[in-house]
Amino acid sequence: MFQFIFDALIRSVDLALIAVALSAVYSLIKFPNVALVQYAVVGAFVAMSLHTAGLPLLLAGLLSAFFVGLLAVVFNILVFERLLKVDSAIALIGSLALSMILSAVFLLTYGPTAYRFKLEVTPAMRVLGARITDHQITTLIVTAISLGLFALILFRTSLGREMRATATNGVLAAATGIDTRRVTNVVVFLSGMLAALGGITLAMRGSVSIDLGTNMLLPVFAAAILGGLGNALGAVVGAIVIAAAETVVTNTNVGPLVGEDLYFLPASYAPVASFAILVIFLLFRPRGLFVSEVSRV
Amino acid sequence: MFDFFIHVASIACLYGVLALSLNLQAGFTGLVNFGLIALFGCGTYGAALASGMGWHPLLGLPAGIAMAALLGLFYARLGRKLSSDYWGIATLSIAEIIRISITNEQALTGGAQGISGLPLLFAGLKPYDGMARLALYVVVLALVWLFCQRLVKSAFGLSMKLMREEPQLARSLGYDLDRIRRVVMLVSSAIAAFAGFLYAHYLTFVGPDQLVSPETFLIWSMVIIGGVANNRGVIAGAFLMQFAMAYVPFIKDALELPTDFVAAARLIIVGGGLLAFLLWRPKGLFPEKVGGSNGR
Repeated sequence: MFQFIFDALIRSVDLALIAVALSAVYSLIKFPNVALVQYAVVGAFVAMSLHTAGLPLLLAGLLSAFFVGLLAVVFNILVFERLLKVDSAIALIGSLALSMILSAVFLLTYGPTAYRFKLEVTPAMRVLGARITDHQITTLIVTAISLGLFALILFRTSLGREMRATATNGVLAAATGIDTRRVTNVVVFLSGMLAALGGITLAMRGSVSIDLGTNMLLPVFAAAILGGLGNALGAVVGAIVIAAAETVVTNTNVGPLVGEDLYFLPASYAPVASFAILVIFLLFRPRGLFVSEVSRV
Repeated sequence: MFDFFIHVASIACLYGVLALSLNLQAGFTGLVNFGLIALFGCGTYGAALASGMGWHPLLGLPAGIAMAALLGLFYARLGRKLSSDYWGIATLSIAEIIRISITNEQALTGGAQGISGLPLLFAGLKPYDGMARLALYVVVLALVWLFCQRLVKSAFGLSMKLMREEPQLARSLGYDLDRIRRVVMLVSSAIAAFAGFLYAHYLTFVGPDQLVSPETFLIWSMVIIGGVANNRGVIAGAFLMQFAMAYVPFIKDALELPTDFVAAARLIIVGGGLLAFLLWRPKGLFPEKVGGSNGR
């Protein structure tokens, strides 16, 4: 049982950083940026290259996150600011196109193989019967610190107040003297950093390959929409729900339902659980679990 | 080489039909559907169903269209409450759910290996069967194009465009937006399933790999590059993209590039093409003709 909870927790942590990034950006620029999941892959690849070049892991991770943050701002200025002038759906298609280009760049620079960090593998600890590895602990700590810092910025600084003001009513915020464009780009920068950290922690515990981003896309979206797109910390709860659902689907014996003693759904059905939750939510509760700052027609 | 040309042209015709279907949804009505490939899949698996059950191959067509109609209605139902970007994500998720289920339900769908051995169309006309098929596809493409032209120039077509441009105005004028969405989805789903049916009997093989989401984005690139809401344009886009994709391996061989180049170049053609056109020529190669639809 504890193993189950721990598995779900780790999975939710995987999703949470990127989902929070997605939601935070959405609150300001009103379109779901698909390319964020690819920023996570960029973060993992860059951190891995820096680590291989001899930098300590912490420094490599931070540098990579900083780089991805800058990259996110550059793309936002060059591509998305222009596309958003037309329509948010156009910007969504643009972010899909950007994801494909990034995939191609990964393919050309790293090839289709999966890469791993060169880290020492320590035997798993046993806590209450659950197997827990060092890297899982590190992931939890990194995620907790980054989300904590993000929440601090959002709720305790004047920058955070400006962000929330811009998200709630951009025109009014601009009228009160807030430089909304700067605020937006700061949030884009932070979201890039969060996504990169998410990618790095994922790669630390497994591997990074070019399809990591596309595999993460729908679960991350499901988490963000479940929490209410635009409600950054709601995405954390969304991630927990999605992770729990995925873990339940693959760990539940559905034998009695199909007339057999023991029957488990294949692990490839795990994403189906998250997509199905997403679709059901969009059908019945399109604004997510929590009322977000964004209202839709 | 000539056979290869015929092959690419045939595929381009079928993708042209798909692009026309997406154009009805996205171009004229403003429905951002990222799950189009699942509607196409209804057609291919309809053909596979007929073959698996030992029915007459033609019965696969109504089966596929019926499945596509149901799925299209479900998409339309989802679209009632959602704005376009949410709907895009929802349709993408449904298409992925369907693809993953097909891959896993080995007994029903043949799983990842798919179903092969479907009857090839005009197999008896060898060696001119390829030409015969291409001729049929050209006729089909022309008929679908004619139908789409008639549809978008009709009064209903005007209401589609009104829904795209000013949904609130359309509603205030008494248009039933849910009905428009339903009809558009039904019609375009049937068209997509028809393309899928022909495709299945062309490749004689049906599998979940044909239904991955990049295929949807490829069709999107045809619509955006060809010209949103211009039926002739999206057909041109379909031919342009299919030929560009098909000749990438030759460039690779000529320049002796590594094999990863092919996949990467295709991603760049689709992604880069989409992005470049969205940024610099959002109306596409053949922009939509506004007004001037004579008579109506």
